[in-house]
Order: sequence, then structure tokens, then C-alpha cells
Amino acid sequence: MTDDHHGRAPKFDYQPALPIPNGKAFMWLFLSTEIMFFAGLIGTYIVLRFGALTWPSTHDVHLAEIWGAANTFVLICSSVTIVLALEAAKSGNASTAKGWMLLTLLLGCVFLGIKMYEYNAKFSHGVYPQHPHSQIYEKPDIYYAQAVRTRLTALKAGFENKTDRTEEDTARIGVVDDILRKVDVAEKTLRDNPDSPEGRILIFQLSDEIYPRASIHEHRASPAHAGGGRSQFKLVALEEGTAGGHLAGLNDQYSWLKLPIMIPGGNMWASTYFLLTGFHALHVVVGLIAFAILMTMTLDRHAAGVIENVGLYWHFVDLVWIFLFPLLYLF
Amino acid sequence: MAEHEQHDADEHHGSTGLYLAVFFALCGLTTLSFLTYFDFWRSHVPTEVSRVFMMAVSCTKAMLVIMFFMHLKWEANWKWVLTVPASFMSALLIFTLVPDVGLRMRHASYDRMKYAAEVPATVDHQEEKHPAGKHEQPAAVRPAA
Repeated sequence: MTDDHHGRAPKFDYQPALPIPNGKAFMWLFLSTEIMFFAGLIGTYIVLRFGALTWPSTHDVHLAEIWGAANTFVLICSSVTIVLALEAAKSGNASTAKGWMLLTLLLGCVFLGIKMYEYNAKFSHGVYPQHPHSQIYEKPDIYYAQAVRTRLTALKAGFENKTDRTEEDTARIGVVDDILRKVDVAEKTLRDNPDSPEGRILIFQLSDEIYPRASIHEHRASPAHAGGGRSQFKLVALEEGTAGGHLAGLNDQYSWLKLPIMIPGGNMWASTYFLLTGFHALHVVVGLIAFAILMTMTLDRHAAGVIENVGLYWHFVDLVWIFLFPLLYLF
Repeated sequence: MAEHEQHDADEHHGSTGLYLAVFFALCGLTTLSFLTYFDFWRSHVPTEVSRVFMMAVSCTKAMLVIMFFMHLKWEANWKWVLTVPASFMSALLIFTLVPDVGLRMRHASYDRMKYAAEVPATVDHQEEKHPAGKHEQPAAVRPAA
């Protein structure tokens, strides 16, 4: 702090604050609260996840690793572009700085676009964080069978009450009746012999036909499985051209069915996934608003301080994703 | 030490070349953690090891971003005042959660265990032979009657 007076007679030099601009000091103060905010969320996720009895595999819930990796790459690129924008602004190169800033803004939009696409892959399969949208049941028990029956009955009544019933509707009633018969058998088995696992196995099989989970069929080669052959597992993705997926179940074959699905641990997964990525996406949106405001300014030396602060915030957003990506997609 | 840093504080400390080097390092590290996704990795490395590996990679990436992109490498000692207490508090937060939530499932009730089991082995093999899984009811577990 007394560097400037080096060599002169020592004079008491009162430094009222940190040796940095106030804006930067407050941005760092804000970021240190943000560290605690995300540490709380990520910590809760880790603790919940490893405390959970079961946890769905990524493909069970339409989470595709490749999109997470792509988003990591996009955010890293945007971190570089905003650093370059700052450098350009510092050397008084306003138009270059604006160019880098625009690129950062676009990369942020790409990130959100991929995120929306990913969210949609979950929503379209009934994977929501909360009822009534969420179709997730955690156990193949009597309540699940009941939910399937309720949905089927409602569908059937809808088709039968149609005044202009087509061939297609009749075929659909046939499909619904087929599944209803299986529900009947499963429920009867369970009722007649509640202590035997047979009924539960039947309901499990029903749930597996409706929504076959990757973790059941995929047989990821773990050290235990290393000696075995290749799996028969085929991603729906390959057929539909969408990333992430599972074996085609009844819900995929008949998209109008929308039956309840059974994913052990699925509700907790959905809650943590949507909360973590949702808060992160919210931070991205705030960053994009900041970029948009910066785009209206002249990004010369005078703006360097503001760009630095926004940049610090944006790097922090990148930092959070660096941890979210392996934790959510690869663990 | 502080003298040099303070003089440089407003100077040009990072060059485009350095930022690009950091960028390529980050991309390389992302690729490294993405390697754990492939079957070859999964069949040769235990899950715990690859988890530790992924976290180590993430921490390295975080350090690179913090040091070079956020310029903390070139900042004066005030950086410790803000980052150390925040990190300390976050660590504390996570540790306090462990006994409450993390150990909650140590003793699962019979009801939970009953449904936690994955599909029985017999069903498993049948399903594999019929990936469509729609038309045939697996014979192995069909009720005896």
C-alpha cells in the first residue's frame, strides 16, 4: 500500500478499503456468497444422491452425456471470448471488444438452447420435477398399477364415447384392453398371494414394458460384466434422431398412451437435476442480460472495469457448470 | 512480492497466447472426464476411482479458470480474505448435511428394500432375448397355472 512512496520519508497512508475498485470488490463479495449458494445446492445433491437407496442411471431419465459435454465446451469458449473482450477493451480496441462480447452473448444463447432441448427430452417422456406433470412412480407396487389402470380407463372411455369413432380408435381400444388385461393379472396375483414376490414381479414387468429403463437392459460393462458379450440395448435415440434414450416401450410405440412410468429414485433425481440446472440456467440468463446491456455501450478503456466485473460473474457461472457436468452426467 | 504484483495490477498480465493455452487445457481436461463415459473406461476402471478422477479433473479446471480467467493469480493478498472464508463456509455446509441427510438411508425399512431390488435374474435374460418386450410375456416368471 505504501509502494508509491517508496524511497520517500514514510508517511502514514490510510487505505480506506481494498486496493481494488469498489465495483470489483463488491463483485467478489457477491461471488463469495454465490460460492456458498451453489456449494449448498451441490452439497445437498451429493449427500442426497449417495444417501439414496436407488438412483436412476443417466439413460433411464433421458440424460445424454454428449450434450452435457457440448455445453461444457460452449461455456469454456464463452469464458475465453469474454476474457478476450476485456483485453481488447483494455487496449482501447472498442469494436474488437464488441465483437468478442457479441460472440459471448451468442455462445450463452447456444448454451440455453441446448439446455432447453435437453429439458424437452425429459418433459416429453413425463419426467417432471413435480406432480401433476410428473408421471414418475418409484416402486412397482399396487399404487403404480392403480395409476396405470386409471389412465387406461380414462383413455378407453375417451375413445368409446367418441361419436365419430375411426378404425384407428378401435385399434387403440384393442391396445388399451391388452394392457388392462395385464394389469388385471398382476393385481389379482398380488391380491391372492400378497406375501409372494410374484405379483410384484408382474407389475415390474408391466412397468418395464411401458418404460424399459436403460439400467435394466443396457448392461453397462462394469468390471463384473467385463467378460460378457455385447448388450442388445439400442437407444431410441438412434431410431428417432434424438439424443438420449432407452429401449422403445409402450409409451414410445404409442405416443398417445402417456402411461405412468416407474423409475426407482426418479422423483429425487428430477428434483435435484431440475433445481441445480435450473438455478444455473437462471444465472446464465442474468449473464446474458448483462451482455446485452454491455452491447449498448462503447467498450473502450473506460468500460474495462464493467467488463471485468461481468466477466468475473460469467467465469463463475462457467465454474459451477464445470462441477455440475461430471456430477450430473457422468457420476 | 506484493510490490511487483501491485505495479502490475493495472498492466497487461495475461496474453492472448496464455488464454488460448488455458482454453486448450480446459478442452483437453473436459475430454479426459468425458472418457469415463465410454464402455472401455467403465469396464477397466472402478467407479470410485473414476469419480475421484472426475472430481480431480474438475478441480484442476476450476483452478485454471480462477487463476487465469478471473485473474486471481495476479491479484494482491486481498483475494484470500474473500475466497478462503467462503470456501470454508461451503465445506462446513456440506459436512453438516451428512449426518442429517446422507446417513438417513443407512437403515432402510423392509418395505423400501423390497422395492429397491432390481429385476430378478430370470426376467433379465428373457427380456434381453426380446428387446421389443411387447408381445411375449416372459415365460420364466409366468404364474405356474
